[in-house]
Amino acid sequence: MSLWQALAYFFREALVSLGRSWKVSSVAILTIAVSLFVGGVLLLLSTNLATVVGQWRSQAKVLVYLTPEVSQDFLDGLRKQIEAEPWVTECQYVAPEDARERFRQSFPSLSGMVEDWQEEPLPASFEISLDPTELTATALEEWLSRLREEPQVEMVDDDRDWLSQLSAIVALIKGIGITLGAVLLGAAIFTIASVIRLTAYLYQDEITIMRVVGATEFFIRGPFYVEGFLQGLIGGSLALAGLHLGHAVLLARTEASIWGGVLLESFLSPQHQLALIVVGGLSGLGGAILSLRRETLVPAAEGT
Amino acid sequence: MIQFFNVGKRYPGGQHALRELSFEIPRGQFVFLTGPSGAGKTTLLKLIFREEVPSEGQIVVNGRNVSSVPPGKIPFLRRTIGVVFQNFRLIPRKTVFENVSFLPRILGADTATQKRLAHEALDRVGLGHRLGAFPLELSGGEQQRVAIARALINEPEILIADEPTGNLDPELSKEILRIFEEIHHRGTTLLIATHDRETIQRIGGRVLTLEAGTLSGDQLLPSPRDLRSEADTDLITSTESDLATEGEPL
Repeated sequence: MSLWQALAYFFREALVSLGRSWKVSSVAILTIAVSLFVGGVLLLLSTNLATVVGQWRSQAKVLVYLTPEVSQDFLDGLRKQIEAEPWVTECQYVAPEDARERFRQSFPSLSGMVEDWQEEPLPASFEISLDPTELTATALEEWLSRLREEPQVEMVDDDRDWLSQLSAIVALIKGIGITLGAVLLGAAIFTIASVIRLTAYLYQDEITIMRVVGATEFFIRGPFYVEGFLQGLIGGSLALAGLHLGHAVLLARTEASIWGGVLLESFLSPQHQLALIVVGGLSGLGGAILSLRRETLVPAAEGT
Repeated sequence: MIQFFNVGKRYPGGQHALRELSFEIPRGQFVFLTGPSGAGKTTLLKLIFREEVPSEGQIVVNGRNVSSVPPGKIPFLRRTIGVVFQNFRLIPRKTVFENVSFLPRILGADTATQKRLAHEALDRVGLGHRLGAFPLELSGGEQQRVAIARALINEPEILIADEPTGNLDPELSKEILRIFEEIHHRGTTLLIATHDRETIQRIGGRVLTLEAGTLSGDQLLPSPRDLRSEADTDLITSTESDLATEGEPL
């Protein structure tokens, strides 16, 4: 029998078996669907968060605040020095009056705080945009130290600290997702293994007959492997459908909120979606292999 | 040909099912294996198609040492041996055709060949018209005939049957035995386990008797056909003798 004929036979038998024991199979399918759904939710969150962090990181700026008595010569010299660095994409001077105007626009309710001052309350500064691909962490640190040592520089600030914290959160979510997903997937594999073993017991007589007439173990076990694979595949597809539905519903409800926009901005990539289904299928196959690993089926004794 | 050399079989716990069995069944012989329940008949049959492994001794089937066949090759050994069971062992959810054509299917035969072979095998047992029926729609005798057809489909050199008439009434038993005789006449080696002495006397042939796992008898019983021929010969001889006596002058 060719491989294709054998596979066609395995699929036919597996589908018949799924139909026959659909209640038990449903348990296995739902277990794997729930596991992959939870894993998928965490994957979705971490992916979106990672995308946002990546965007913020690319938009990260270095702010160089200057002392009030800064001279024009120093400003020109410093600008030249900053713009000479290969990782600087833009260097914008913000005069104290521009800073006050921005504050007014950004925080209208607090605008009174800057209205009554005789002198400009906010310092002049340089806003520097960076190309993160051109810059290593060490090089950035050295550069910022050099800027801090300039005589008329009051303070140098950058967004790295909180971006690092966000990255740590992304890594944490990813870690939780992987751990929880692995634990749940393990449980799902165990469930599928139990279901397949149960099915194999249901078919024990048939298997004995098949063995007696000369069927190979590959031929006997093939339908069970395919059955486990199909259970996993269906479970993975259900998880994906649940994720699609959940994402659409939550996005519609939380569109206005910043977190809704951030965490649910985009759905899983086609590769991730495919991976979710494939992981389901492979888990089911793994469960089936696990369940038939040892000699599960001992021929019933008959006579002496 | 089936050869047993000092074969013994012990089950876990040390209980002996068979001891020191040595015999030979030549190609094409019709052999009954008899003995009381628990004598070891089924175990002996299982040893032949490697459902059990002997604890001692060697078994050679068609020149192959069964004990040393690697696990992966056991299916290939079994394809050369047809096996019929007392409880038929048909797959209930499959049709007669699917049950009978199972072996050609796993050997890769196309559907047309499967159908032809199934038809031929079922015709030999008189069930060529029940291809689409399910086992539970058939009588016990018909189910056993389907099981025989399944065992015959690959034209095995050896056919072994474990109490094939045990679940059948006397009339159906006769029908099944007639089929076995017909199979034997085509040259197949038959080994039939039964504790029914009446069946054995009706058919005749070689009889191996097991008692408590040992071979207690190996005899050749004449078949009723042989007895009839013998009686006819005696009658002719005595008639000729009588005629000769009548012709003699007083």
